[in-house]
Order: sequence, then C-alpha cells, then structure tokens
Amino acid sequence: MSGQSQNIADQGADIQARENMLAGEGHARRTEFSRSWGRFKRFKPGVVALIFIGLLSIVAIIPGVFEPYSYSETNLRERGESPTWEHPFGRDDIGRDVLSRLIRGTRVAFIVALSAMTISLAIGLTVGALSGYFGGWVDATLSRLVDTIMAFPLLVLMITLAAVIGPSLQTTVVVIGLTVWSQYARVVRADVLSVREREFVFAARAIGANDGRIIVRHVMPNVLGPIIVLASLAVGGIIILEAALSFLGLGIQRPTPSWGGMLADGRAHIRNYPHIAIVPGIMIFLTVLAFNLIGDGLRDALDPRQRES
Amino acid sequence: MSEDTTAIGRILNRFEGTNRRDFLKRSVIMGATVPTFATLLAACGGDDDDDDDDDDDGGDESDSGDPTATTQRSVPTSAVGGQPTPTEEEMTDDATATEDGGGGEEEPTATEEDSGGGDEGQQGGTLILMGHHEIASLSPDDAGPTVHWVMVTQIHNALVELDPWYVLQPTLAESFEVSEDGMTYTFNLVQGAPFHDGEEFTSADVKYTFDFYRDPENAMLTASNFNGITDVEASDDYTVVISLEGPNAAFLSRAGQAFIVPEHHHSAIGEDAYKSDPMGTGPFSVREYRAAEFTEVEAFPDHFRGAPLLDAVRERIVPEPSVRTIELETGEADSSVWALVTEDNLRLRDSGDFVTYQTSSVACNHFPMNNERPYFADREVRRALMYALDRDLIVDELWEGLAVKATGNISPALDFYYEPDVTEYPYDPDLAIETLENAGWVAGSDGVREKDGVRLEWTLAVIAGDQARRPEAEFAQESWNAIGCNVSIEDTTAASSGMRDGTHDMAIYNWTYGGGSGEPDGSNTLRSDALNNFSKYKSEQMDELLDAGLRETDPDARKEIYSEVQKLVAEDVPFIYVKYWDWFNFYNPRVKGLPDSVLSGGTLYSMAYTMWKEEE
Amino acid sequence: MYRYVIQRLLQGIIVLFLVSIATFGILQAAPGNPVETMLGEGATQLTQEDYDRLLQKWGLDKPWYEQYFTWLGNFVTGDFGQSMVRAGVPVHEMVLEAAWPTIQLTSLSLAFAILVALPAGMIAAIRRYSIFDSGIMVWASAGIALPNFWVGLMLIILLALYLGWLPPSGGGDWKHYIMPVFVLAINETAVLARLMRGAMLEVLGQDYITTARAKGLREYVVIVRHAVRNALLPIVTVVGLRMAFLLSGTVVVESIFAWPGIGQLFITSVNRSDYQVVQAIVVLFTVLVIVANIVTDLTYAIIDPRIRLN
Repeated sequence: MSGQSQNIADQGADIQARENMLAGEGHARRTEFSRSWGRFKRFKPGVVALIFIGLLSIVAIIPGVFEPYSYSETNLRERGESPTWEHPFGRDDIGRDVLSRLIRGTRVAFIVALSAMTISLAIGLTVGALSGYFGGWVDATLSRLVDTIMAFPLLVLMITLAAVIGPSLQTTVVVIGLTVWSQYARVVRADVLSVREREFVFAARAIGANDGRIIVRHVMPNVLGPIIVLASLAVGGIIILEAALSFLGLGIQRPTPSWGGMLADGRAHIRNYPHIAIVPGIMIFLTVLAFNLIGDGLRDALDPRQRES
Repeated sequence: MSEDTTAIGRILNRFEGTNRRDFLKRSVIMGATVPTFATLLAACGGDDDDDDDDDDDGGDESDSGDPTATTQRSVPTSAVGGQPTPTEEEMTDDATATEDGGGGEEEPTATEEDSGGGDEGQQGGTLILMGHHEIASLSPDDAGPTVHWVMVTQIHNALVELDPWYVLQPTLAESFEVSEDGMTYTFNLVQGAPFHDGEEFTSADVKYTFDFYRDPENAMLTASNFNGITDVEASDDYTVVISLEGPNAAFLSRAGQAFIVPEHHHSAIGEDAYKSDPMGTGPFSVREYRAAEFTEVEAFPDHFRGAPLLDAVRERIVPEPSVRTIELETGEADSSVWALVTEDNLRLRDSGDFVTYQTSSVACNHFPMNNERPYFADREVRRALMYALDRDLIVDELWEGLAVKATGNISPALDFYYEPDVTEYPYDPDLAIETLENAGWVAGSDGVREKDGVRLEWTLAVIAGDQARRPEAEFAQESWNAIGCNVSIEDTTAASSGMRDGTHDMAIYNWTYGGGSGEPDGSNTLRSDALNNFSKYKSEQMDELLDAGLRETDPDARKEIYSEVQKLVAEDVPFIYVKYWDWFNFYNPRVKGLPDSVLSGGTLYSMAYTMWKEEE
Repeated sequence: MYRYVIQRLLQGIIVLFLVSIATFGILQAAPGNPVETMLGEGATQLTQEDYDRLLQKWGLDKPWYEQYFTWLGNFVTGDFGQSMVRAGVPVHEMVLEAAWPTIQLTSLSLAFAILVALPAGMIAAIRRYSIFDSGIMVWASAGIALPNFWVGLMLIILLALYLGWLPPSGGGDWKHYIMPVFVLAINETAVLARLMRGAMLEVLGQDYITTARAKGLREYVVIVRHAVRNALLPIVTVVGLRMAFLLSGTVVVESIFAWPGIGQLFITSVNRSDYQVVQAIVVLFTVLVIVANIVTDLTYAIIDPRIRLN
C-alpha cells in the first residue's frame, strides 16, 4: 500500500516539476478558477455555508480566544444548569460550560474530519486511479482489496479497531481514515475507467506520454471535480462517523470535548437536562449541512457533467 | 404491618401478632445453628437488636425462615441486591399498591377469598419488566446477571430462597437440620411440588442438580458455589443429606440457593439446550423466549405454593436508560429491572406516580487500582488520592444524596459488622499534596509528579457506555490531575478482566469486598491469591484475618475480626472506595400485591407470583 | 458473462476468506473474553481453577490460529458453531432469529426512502434552480447531516413522551415500526434524492433528450419515456451498493429503539466478545455486500457498453 503511494507520489513530483516550466498553464488555470467561482457564487446556500465554515475554522484554529470559561473545569454543584446569560448553552452533567466545550469541540471535529479525509482520499485516489487506469491484474487485485474493505461493515471494523488500539484522537483519525477510503477508490476507478477510453487519452498515449503523466495530466483533471465534491461531502460524513463512534463510547479521549462525545454524554440526561444533547446535535447538524452545501456548490461549479457522486 | 395481606405479608403473618421486626428477629433465633445466622440480623435487623440472637436456637418452628443472609445473586452485577437502609420506613414513598391488600391467598392454592379488598378482577395481567441487555440464557448456571436472574427465578425454585427482607425462606426444602459439627445438612423436601411437565420434584432432582453443577468436568460458571461439598445423598424421596468438608459459613446462602433443575429433563437434553428450554417448579413456565427482544413466562397453575395471580411476566430488552424511563412514564412497562440515571430516579420517586423501593446497595462503588504498578505500590500515593477526591461532593451532588459515603469495604448499612472507627480521609487537597511531597513525589517540569523516574501517570478505564459512572471518573480525573497526576480516561469493554489480567492501571465499577447480602467475608476479593483481587493487594495480615473470619462461627467474634479487616483496608487503601449507592425499583401503581417496604428491591422480582395487575 | 460471474464468485470467496481471517485476528487482539462477560461484575466466588477450566472448555486457551482453523473447518461444513455467551444456541439460529426484524426494518426503510426520494429528486431536476429544487436540495442535505441517533432520541421525546402518539421502543403492532423505519430512512432518503436529481440532470443534458424535444414530443412524454427510465438505471445499482451503509445504520438505530435485530445482536456480541456470533454476522454482511457488488458491476457493464468485463 505505502509502496504504491510512494511510487505515485514520486511520479507526481516529477510531473509537477515539468508542469511548472510551462508558463501559459497557470494563466489558463486562473481563468478556469474564476469561471468556477462564478458558478459557485450562484448557489447562495453554498456561499452562506462557506462563510459559516470560514468562521468555524477561525474558532477551530484559536479556540482559546473564544472560550468564555475553561472547557474542562467541573462544577458538581451546578450540574445540568439550564442556559443563562452567563452560560448561554448551560452546563453539562458535571457542571462544565457547554459553550466552551462546543468551541473546543470545533477544533477536534475539524482535526478529525480533515485528517481522516486526507488519509482516506489519498488512499482512495491512489488505489482508484491505479485500478481504473491500468486495469488487468492491477485492477483485479486492487478491486478485491476495495471489495474486502467495502464488504467489511465499517462500524464493526471501527469498533473493533478502536477497542484494540485504544480509543484516542489519533485512533479515531486513523480508524476512520483507513476504513472510509474504499468508496472513493470505487468512484475514482469508475471515473478513470470511462475517462481513459476518451479520445484525448488515446491521443496522449499516441504521442508517447508515459502512464504517470497521462494519469496526472489528463485523467486526474477530468476526475478532479467529482473528487473535490466527494471530499467536501466526505467531511460531513466523517464528522457523523466520529459522533457515532463516540456514541458507542469509542471516540475521543476525555476530558477533551468532541461534539459526538458531548451528545453521547447528554443522551442519558435527555429527559432532565435536554440542552446537553440538543446543542451538540444541532452543531453537528449545521456543520455537516454546511460542508454538504459547499459540496453541492462545488459540484455545480466544477463538474461540468453534473454527475452526482 | 398488620394490615399487610399480600402473600409476603401472609408469610409474615403466620407468626400472628408479630410485626416484621420481631419476625425477623424470631426467624434468626429459630434457625440458630446455622453459623452465619447473625449476618441476617446484621443485614435485616437494621439497628439495635443485635445482641439477643444466638442463645435460643432450637429451631422450634420448622417452617420458619431460616437465617443467613448471603446469596449468590445479590452480588450479580454492580449494585443489585440491596441492603437495608438505616431507617427502612423511609424506603417507600406512597406505596399505594398495598393499601387494599393483595392476592393474599391461603396456603397451597391461590384463591381470591381473603384479600383485603375482595375486588373482582384481582387476578391476571401481564407484568412487563425491562432489562438493559439480552437474556442470553435461562439456565440457573447463567443467573449471574440480574437481567437473567429475574426470569430464571420465575421458572425455578431453590431449597431455600432469600426473600426481599434478606430472610432465607424454606422453599423446596420444608425444613432442614444441621449436625452439631456443622458439617452435615439434612433437608426435608416439600411433597407434591410438580415440575412444569407434571413430574413430581424429588430428592433425586436435588442430588442431580448439585452433582451436575459442581462437577469440574462440566465447567459450570456456578461450580464454585458448591465448594466444600463432599457428598450429596438422597436418603429417601423427600430427604437430602449433604456433607461438607468442614463448617462453611457460606454454604446455605450459596449452594442452598441453587435453583433445582428436573433430572429427567435436564439430563435428557443437556445443559446447553437447557439454557433455552428450561423447566422448573417455579410459578411461571416459559411461553416465548426471544433473547434479544423479550422473554415471556406464563402462569403455572399447579405451582406448589399456589397458582400465581398474574397471567404472565414479560421482560423486554431496552438498552437505553433514557428510553427505559420514558417507557415507565408512558406506562408501556411496569418496572425496570436495571437502573435509570440518578435524576430520573429522583424525578420518578418524587412524582408520586410510582410505587418506589429505594434500597441501599452493598456493592462498593470504587476505583480498583493495580497495586503492583510502581506508583500505586506506594501506600502514600493511594492515601493522597483519597484526600484529593471530594467524595462528599460526589455523594451529595453527583448522586443527589442517593448514596452513602464509604469508609471501607463494608457498607454502613450492614451495621452489625460495619466499623466506623477507622482511618478517615476527608477531602483535603493540600494534605494530599503534602502527603505526596513527604513521600518524595515532586513535580517535574510539566507539573506531573515523579519519584525515581516513576511518573504519577496512569489510565483510568471506564466501561464503554456506562452513563452512570463516567461522570464520576471524569471528576476524579480532574481532582487527581490537580495534585500533580496525569490521568487519562479510556473506554473499555472489559473493565474487570482488564484489572484481573493487569492490563488496566485503574478502573471504576461496583463490587463487593465482603458484605454481599450480609456475609462479611471478602476472601474472594481481598485475599492475596484471590482471582478477583483486582487491586492485586497483598497483605499477609489480611489473609490471616480472612481465614480466621471464615473459621469462626461466633458472630461477636466474627464482628471483631471483620472490624480489623475494615481498619486494615482503611489503613492500606488497596482501592479508592467512594460510596454505596441507593438502588431504585419503580412499579407502575396498577401493579398490585406489592409490599409496603423491602430491604432488597431487586429480590422483590422473585415475588412476582404474588402480584397482579389492575387492567384499565 | 457466465465465466465472469463465476470468476467474481470465486474472487468473492477469497474476499470472504480474507475478511473472516482479519476479523478473527482483530477480535483475538481485543481485550475481554466471554467467560468474563457471563460472570458479570459479581462473580466473586470464582477460583483460578474454575476460570482456567472455563477457558479450556471454550478452547480459549489455544493459540488464535488454532481457534481460527477450528472455526474454518466447522464453517466449511456449514456449522457456524455455538455462541459462547448463549451457549447451546447454534449461531446460525441466533443470526436468523435476529435477521427477520432487521430485514423488516431495512426493507421498509428502503421502500420509504425510494417512494419519497425518487419523485422528489426527479422534480428537483426538472425544475432546476427553482425554489422547489433548492428546497429539496437543502432538505436532502439536511437529511444527510442529521445524526440518526440524535433524531431518534428527539423523536422519542416528542412523539412518545410529550404527544403520546407512538410507543417509545420495542416491537409489536404497526405503531412500533414508524419511528425506527423513519429514522433509518432519513439518510437513505436524502442520498437517493440527491442521486436521483443528479442522474436526471445528466440524462436531461444528453443529446437524445434534445432530439426528442426537437421532434416536438410533449415534455411529459420526454420526461417519463426517455429521461426517467434512463435515470433510474444507475439508481438501481446504487441502491444495491447502499446495502452495507444501511446495515451499518441499523447498529445504532436498533439499539435506541430496542429493535431485536442483527445490529443489536452485533453490538451485544462485540461488547461481550462473543467471537462466534460477531464472526458469523461479519460473514453474513460480507456475503450480502459481495453479492450486491457483483450485481452492481454487471448492471454497470450492461448500462455502459464502453466498459468491458474481464
């Protein structure tokens, strides 16, 4: 697995170096970018979502600035306190300020989502591209690998892996990253499969371009749209997966707050202190929704064929 | 008590003119030769009648409850099997269910005649209970988990059974005698007790059950309950003689409470098949068994104590505690076998909409810690952890006062054996820091204390999804980190095995270290070589005390010994003992035939055959 | 074609083998064993001897590969073994018992999702950029963004506790089905609506639709005859692929609604380290997904002739 990634990475660097020499290229890219941005802007919910995620990113980068109280300091005497002016989202079941935990949880959510997405996309892209482009025994082998991972019920894998490795932030990232890539590989493979039959690929091969160059220069740009869309949608999915893992008690280590963990903690108190579970639930919902809307906007903007991924 | 005409009350009222306190005392007196009987007193007597016990043995009334207070099942999982709270009057709020009397049937058969109200329609109904996990088996061998036991006890009977007041009631044994040396028990069995298929229960079934479950070849989970038995002999159809290696304080409460299986059925299908096809002499027989969904047992009209009043008992599986609460509140279910969260307990209790039994648990809520870890090996560290943890705050706020702070391994509720005069560890973080400093644990550059290269750094394992104890663990984490430790919390699916095999540093759960239903012996958890000595606590002094305690039969002498045990525990702090929490059992008021109060809320489910449901 | 199917089936068996050995390995490394779980927290009387004997009885004292081959041998002969926690009960019986509620739940959810999502997706595509389209897309995005266990709890509080319309959990009459079916369907509905919209948009952009319109066919005929039929084909394949997701979703939903299906059995078994049952469920899921994959690949090839099999 890592050998293959290494290989393609080398090729990528090589191609990149050559590309940088071509001056006109950058200009063409910019034009395409502004055209895409123009299309994206037309989708208003996507723009709103982008602003929302932008704000959340700032919160995630410097949570300390925004937290009104300590996110970990307990106060058993005020446990489950309902929202007040001092504590706009109330206190949790051991008296910690819910707003501060929500803010700190933003960082955790972003770290998990982005890292796990990067891992899974890297694996998924590599496997999918190799599999789709080369076909034959490469495809057969990699497809079996994909089938194996896909056939594995994800939650089983995550639950057991998390239990074996011992739950932590890193475990959560790795476990999610290592398990969700198969669907991306599949989509990429299917796209590459149809792209490589296109005329321009034949043309490139005819003039003697090597495989690496064809994949990176010709095939990838044509499947990039769906991949970016996929990535933005994947972020939302991963945030929910993290919440589900925490719901089952196998998520982020305490006392570090994660939205999923907060929700899981609050679910036993849903009758008495409903705000503990409601608030992170809404936060998960809004964030995932925002990422999905951005994904929608991107799809409209980037994928000329308007294929749903 | 005198107006109590429930079936339970009936048993009590046999001793006419007595109130229950007297009854308890008398039954202690009557059973006297049993070595452990004093424990009953400790368990049930509540407060002040400890000393008048052992002189009047004689066992003059053969059908009396015989005393002892231990039971294999009141240890089952975390906290069932309550203990008396000091003032039992407080234990029920508006126990409306008993006001109009219950299915007070006369002895052998259930009739409606003498019930308090004499209403029509007193019989019938399906009692709907809720457990939190699948009922994996209906065999007596698997009756450990409470959720299982609740159904197994409907189907089976034992020679003697513990009632909700910690009295061992003769059940399939009409009476028994113990030899002078305490090594031979002779049980006189009831006659005319049919199994569910009509075959009559005889001594052969007792012999078969005992021999099967204690046979090492069969590798039964409950085999150790029969330890110390050398021979089981069926001298005639209704007499069983059991011989022991030596006097055994725990015999009656463990082996005596073994549920009897029918030889002809069990031997024909084998233990494995029996787990889903059980048959006993109990008041209910299996109607439908769907492990993960529900288990329903129906009334067995020929039950030897009389036909049950209910038509059926169904235990449904509802894993989420909040959903169990809602099921109770909407009246979809009648009672939850497994606990709810503290706030729900309070709210349901104070709503007045339920018959509430609040009983104290004997299982100690504690943090076991591996004493072989270099940091925990230092007793001063363990003491500092005690000082740093505000256990009063945990009891008062986290548990809303529904618990009692622990001072050692025996619950204060067990007031005969409870020793209050021990080393105490009041909340004092400064003293905690001082203790650590004096012992040479000094803060490193990152604030974590260390000594000789060993850092005060460990992992605290919490059972995944344990909504009740997780907040407590987080609070402890914060408290200990504040004095210079570095505690991280880890969810685990196997807290006890992790402690047992030494993979966990520390965990949090409930366990008995002696005191289970009144028996103060803690050999299985405190002895140096005990498998369940999770803290890997090694003390020769403790081992000697425990051995002496088991050999001793005089209650006062035992009391001395177990006081020493408690003092030693408080001195050494092998684990961080926090509290003994209250256990709640709620019943929808349409369930009738419930007693005013009980000492063990969990055990009340074994009395389901005396309840009935008022249909709306 | 037959050769291809046989080849894929053989590959499927290899996948199955890999999956089973991987599960087995992972489960072996996990802490805990069923002896512990059966004992509960209260088994204070057990001695080391008893403990060892129990381990031996279940073969847990043997090295893991030996345990694996024992399992494999039994499996090949059609014996899934016995549950260690529910000893005496053959595993296949437990899985089958739990399968029916899960099949009911998933198929009803899927049916609900299809009935709601397909028309919604279609209309959204036809009326692209309309308020209706935005509405459906926002709603579909919302559906994907909602954590289903959270929705489940909220619904129980609202519909069961406050309004008293529905029973909070468990099985029984039709009322018990409403909440779990709906909650499990939320994500599926959203995904399918998005897919349907996408597929419709793609089809509507094709030349033959333009041709049909140019021929002067009525819009209704163009949509129904040409567009919808073509758009549905990829959806069918995707529904097959969603199988694994749907099954995963049951794990949490079944636990909240006390639904006695595979999902709950699985969680219970993992928590109790009941290896035999976990193993059987994984194999079952794997078989389901492999079959779905093969069907999908075949359909894929049939729809898009540019893709060659083999």
